[in-house]
Order: sequence, then structure tokens, then C-alpha cells
Amino acid sequence: MADIQLKNLSKAFGDLLAVRDLTITFPSSTVTCLLGPSGCGKTTLMRMIAGLETPTSGEIHFGDTNVTELSPSERNIGMVFQYPVVYRGMNVYKNVELPLKHDKTVDKQERKERVERVLEDLDLADSASKKLDQLDNGTLQKVAVAREVARRPRIILFDEPITNVDVSAKTQLKLALKRLSKQYAQTIVYVTHDQTEAMTLADEIALMRDGSIVQRSSPQDLYDHPNDRFGGWFLGNPGMNFVPHEVRANGQLEITAPLFSNPVRVSGFHIDREVLVGIRPEWLRVLTQATAGAVPAEVVQRAIVVGGQYLLTLKVGHATFKAKVPPSMDIAMGETVWVQCPLERVSLFGHDGHKLEASFQYA
Amino acid sequence: MGAIVEFQQVSKRFGRNTLFDDLSVAIESGRFSVIFGAPASGKSTLLRILTGLDKPSSGHVCLRGEDATHLPAGERNIGYVPQTFALYPHYSVFDNIAYPLRLNRMAKEGIKPIVQQAAERLSIADLLSKRPDQLSGGQKQRVAIARGIVKDTDIFVLDDPLTGLDFKLREQLFDDLRQMQAELDATFIYTTSDTLEAQMLAQDVYVLDAGSIIEAGAFEKVFKHPEQRRSMALLGFPKTNLIAGSWQYAGADPKATCYLFDVPVKLVGDAKVCVKLDIDLAVRPEHIVIDPVGDDWLTVTADITLVENLGGEVVIDLEAHGLALLSTMSQADVGGLEEGGVTIGVRPEHVIVFDRETGVRLGCGHVEVDVSSTTKEVAGG
Repeated sequence: MADIQLKNLSKAFGDLLAVRDLTITFPSSTVTCLLGPSGCGKTTLMRMIAGLETPTSGEIHFGDTNVTELSPSERNIGMVFQYPVVYRGMNVYKNVELPLKHDKTVDKQERKERVERVLEDLDLADSASKKLDQLDNGTLQKVAVAREVARRPRIILFDEPITNVDVSAKTQLKLALKRLSKQYAQTIVYVTHDQTEAMTLADEIALMRDGSIVQRSSPQDLYDHPNDRFGGWFLGNPGMNFVPHEVRANGQLEITAPLFSNPVRVSGFHIDREVLVGIRPEWLRVLTQATAGAVPAEVVQRAIVVGGQYLLTLKVGHATFKAKVPPSMDIAMGETVWVQCPLERVSLFGHDGHKLEASFQYA
Repeated sequence: MGAIVEFQQVSKRFGRNTLFDDLSVAIESGRFSVIFGAPASGKSTLLRILTGLDKPSSGHVCLRGEDATHLPAGERNIGYVPQTFALYPHYSVFDNIAYPLRLNRMAKEGIKPIVQQAAERLSIADLLSKRPDQLSGGQKQRVAIARGIVKDTDIFVLDDPLTGLDFKLREQLFDDLRQMQAELDATFIYTTSDTLEAQMLAQDVYVLDAGSIIEAGAFEKVFKHPEQRRSMALLGFPKTNLIAGSWQYAGADPKATCYLFDVPVKLVGDAKVCVKLDIDLAVRPEHIVIDPVGDDWLTVTADITLVENLGGEVVIDLEAHGLALLSTMSQADVGGLEEGGVTIGVRPEHVIVFDRETGVRLGCGHVEVDVSSTTKEVAGG
């Protein structure tokens, strides 16, 4: 297995810089998801790793090998695309077996073992002799995955492999991919714009925007501790709240309204006049009665969201933000509620959108 | 407020195929109404009949209390946002938005402030001099919506306008659309096949299925107390668990049974049941609880096969005696969830019972006095 090292990698299409001077290593035997909105450069980056796109500048190394100048076939990688690439005329077994037949280093016995094992691992054993036109899109995609995995390349690249699979087959395919990545310990780079997919499958997410990697972290860490407003906004349905707070000098620096009833002392960063308090909708505590440390808020909008929870749009003064409450908490529009903002769930952001390495505590 | 749009026994046939058969529905004035149905259920055609771009094979369409079945599209005074952007590529954004006003021969000086206001509502005021090919997909969609809302009218029809946009772009538009509807104080009629979109936007929902509106009403009512299995199955994320069942007793104090548990059922008013009647038991994922604490739970052992982390929530794939089930909970409530064996619990009142054949709600579970018999041992499980 090999890691993937990118060294000052850039790609320009005319005036457009699709990938900007990236230097990063995707570790071996891990699943790294390239996540970002359309146009962020994730697909271009993956195509460069595959050798389908030539970098404008910079280098790509797989382990000890500089592959920048190598053709796709010389790179010995597997690829799975948005649409399943399979041979319609053959059955499932033969589809998976085909590339191994061309590999002189794999003898007949090993070929058989590899094919059978991967079919087993992907729940395809029962379909081994089926013709491909008998299979749905999700299963076809599994066949495409199985073929790449059986080859045991050092690196497998996935380009939104689940996007075009119908919802019912999605979970199954996700499950299979997750299991597979654990069992074979191949180095996987997985491109997606779907945060749920990335959260479920990735060991590490590389969050991309405008050709750069904004943050590379484990899914939970990225979700809980975005180092930039962009990560806070992009992950989560809806994303993090960013509520402006005026910083006042009161002997020491403090923020209070709108989210805090008691002054919160802030320090450790270059102080702007204003900071953004970042907190995710599920971490705000919404109470129906006046409580110490809580601020009164008006419910201006509500909707039922994932898992039957209510998403409340709350207003305190000029600030509007969102909170998720359990299905059992039936709060009407126009009602006043009390909101607590737990400090341990808060991140502070500056005006440039970067997270402030601040310390804060109640005064 | 009364109905502003009415379909009266509308049928639509294409050759030998019937899309709508005797569809009747009344849409209340001043609401954000969502016509919700699976892809290809006929939502667009219904809107086209409403706007006059298509004709019903039979039946009537009433607008603002008057029969408009034969009124030409241009005289119906409806703002329309079609499914595809359909922007004029050689026009600027300004001219695209102004197009319906010019079509109505509005004076030049009147047009500018209206276009400006619509553009501001959709945060595209700085794009007015650009051409469509200079815009991103999300921006084009905003232009198309702006063009649809410039009309001075009380009915706006939006045909699945956010389809194809990625989730984050849609999320921003949810708030804008709701706010716009409130500010314009108009009737919005909006179609989608995406449950989360319907959930974020609908004050009222009209569930379109198999050629008719099978259920309609305030969104929260339909979501929480669905009268039809199909509504419950289509609305909500993650998807409702449907478990095939039958009647253990169908007399007084009837009891439903399925492979996982038995549950006493309180029937809706006039529901008639008999032992031969096949049923479906429906449970929303948020009502399946892992390792429940306390009394009155219907419990069964299960394996966690996958924990999907959505960030704010987790979706848990379960397998209980061969049945695949979904559960979900807020990240704030997740302890240490591991893949493997657990006990899952459902409160009886969260089990909704539907007639398998007709899909009509028959009743829901309730707590029986004798609690001990609600847990069923599954042989060989």
C-alpha cells in the first residue's frame, strides 16, 4: 500500500485556477474523502492523481515513486466512476475476473480465490453467474467496485460512485464500501459533494473550496471543530449558526448579547470590534421556561426536519439563528422560549471567517 | 380565507393512459402549499393545467372563485417558475427578469424598481448586468425565481424549482422562499418530490399519488397523523419503517401482530377489521429507540449494522430477526453506539396500523394493561 503525496500541485484551465498549490499527504490504508461544493476542484484533483489530467505545476508521489509523468495505466490504480463501467456481455464473475486474467503475476488458483473473496465481501456471491442486464444500478456499481478491489491496486479512486444509485441501494453500497475499506486496507480517495456520504465513509475528510483544501480532519472533528466558517456552514443540515457579538472592554474583554445573559470573558486573540459566535443548531438548549443563564427568544419559523425534530428559527434582538429540538417539544410560532448556549460547544470566528484561537469563560 | 384554486373532477388522459382520474382539490388562499409526490406522479402536468399551458380532458379549474377552465394562460394572472431555468441566453439578467413585465406592456419607468426589488429579494442585485452564461447554477435558479415573482399577482406557481441544485444552495433558498411568500402575502403553489424540501417549505401539503390527491392538510398534521400509508412512506427522512403484519384478534380490543412484536390497537372511529385483513405496521425511525429505559416499550433484540453520521444526527441501520429497520437520533443524545447487538424499543402509540390493500389508516397502538405480553420471543432469533 502507498500513501499519496501532493507537492505544490496546481492546475489551471486558462485563467481559472482549479487547484491551487496543494501540498498534502493522504495516508496509506485510509479512506480520504475530497468533499466540497461543485466547482471546488475536487474532481480535477482526483483526475490528476489518476493521471487523466496533467498538472500545470507540482508533483504527485505514490509512496516512493514519483508518478507525475506516468500514464494512468502505469500508475497501477483502480477507479470507480459515477456510472458503473462494466462489460454487459459477461456475467458478474467474469466481469470481476477479467483484469486478473491479464495480470501475469496472478496464477489461476489465486485468481479464483480473489474473485470469490471479493464477491463474498460485497454480497455478490449469489449473483456470480447472473448476466448484468438482470441487475439494478446499485448492484452494477458493486460489480465495478469488486473488479477494482480484486485487482488489489495500491490505490483506488472513487468519483461520486453513489450519486446515481437509487436511494434504497445507496445504503447497501455504502455499507459494502465501508466494510471493504476496513478489510482490504487499500488507500482510497473518494470524491463526493454529499456530506453524509463523506461523514459515513471517510477516515479523513479533505474539505475543499476554490481549489484549496480548507481543512483535513476526521469527520467528527471537522464537524465539531471547523477551523473556518466555510466548514461550519458546509457540514450540517442546516450548518452552524454564526451570530455576531460585539466585543466590549469592561476592564477585560467581554461579549454578552444576544446569545449570553451573563458576560463571557474572551481573550487570547487579536480583538476585532465584533466576533462571530459559532454554534450548531443541535447544541443550543431550548427551554420553555425562564432559566438562569438563558436568553429569551421569539420563535419566528419552524419546520419538521430529519428524524421528526423541529428546526426552530429564533430571534433575539436583530440576531436570527436556528435550533433543533426533539419531536416531542411542540413549540408554536410566535412563542417565547429561553435559549442556553453552552460554552463548551461554541467556537469563535473572526471577520475573515477563520476560527479564533480564543479562550472564553463566564466572567 | 377560502379556496383560491380549485380543481373539480379533473381528469387527464394521454391516449389510453390516465394520469388523473376525477381529481378534486381546493387550495387555500395565502398559504405556502406544496404538491408532493413521487417523480412522474403528474405534479408538473397539474401545474400546467392550473396555469393554462395544458388542458384537462374533463373537469374544471376555478381561479379566485371563477371557472377558468377555458381562460387562456395569458389571462390567468399567475406568476410561474418552470422546472428548467429557461433563461434567455442573449438577454441580461435584468432583461430576463423584466420579460414578463414587458410582455404585459408595462411602462419602462415602472419596470426598473420592480426588477430591482425582486433581485434584492433573491440576493442577485449585483448580477443584473450579467448574462446567464456568466452565472452559476444556483444564481441562474435565483434569476428564474425572480422572473417568476415580478408579476403583480396573488398566485405564484413554482414547479420543482430547486431540483438539481446541491443541498447547500437549496438550504439558502428555503428561507428566502418562505420569507418571500410571507412578504408578498400571496398563494404559493410549489411542487417537489423531495421530502426535506416539502418539510422546509410547506404550510399545507397535498400528497399526489396514483392520479389523485390522497391526502391534504396542514403539513404538520399530515406528517404526524397521516391517514394514508403512502403519505407516511413518502414524507419524512429517514424513511418510515413498514412491517408486514396481521391481526391476532380482530374483535373487541383488537391486537396486531408482526414478526417483531404484538400490539393492542385502538381503531379509528369507523374502521372495521377482521382476522383475514392483512395490515402494515408503520413506525418512524425517530420512534425506534436503542436500549430503551422504563416501562411500556415493545422491545425486540436487533443488530446494528451501520451507523451513519449525518453530523447533527445519526441514522442507525438495524437488523431485527431478518428485518431491516432504520432508527435515528440527535447527535446530542448519542452515547457510545457500537455496531453489534442491542435491544430496540417502540412505544405502542407510535405504531400506526394501515390496511395493506387500501393503504388507509386503521388505528394505532396503545398500551395494554398487561404489559408482559407485549414482548414476543422469536423462535430461533
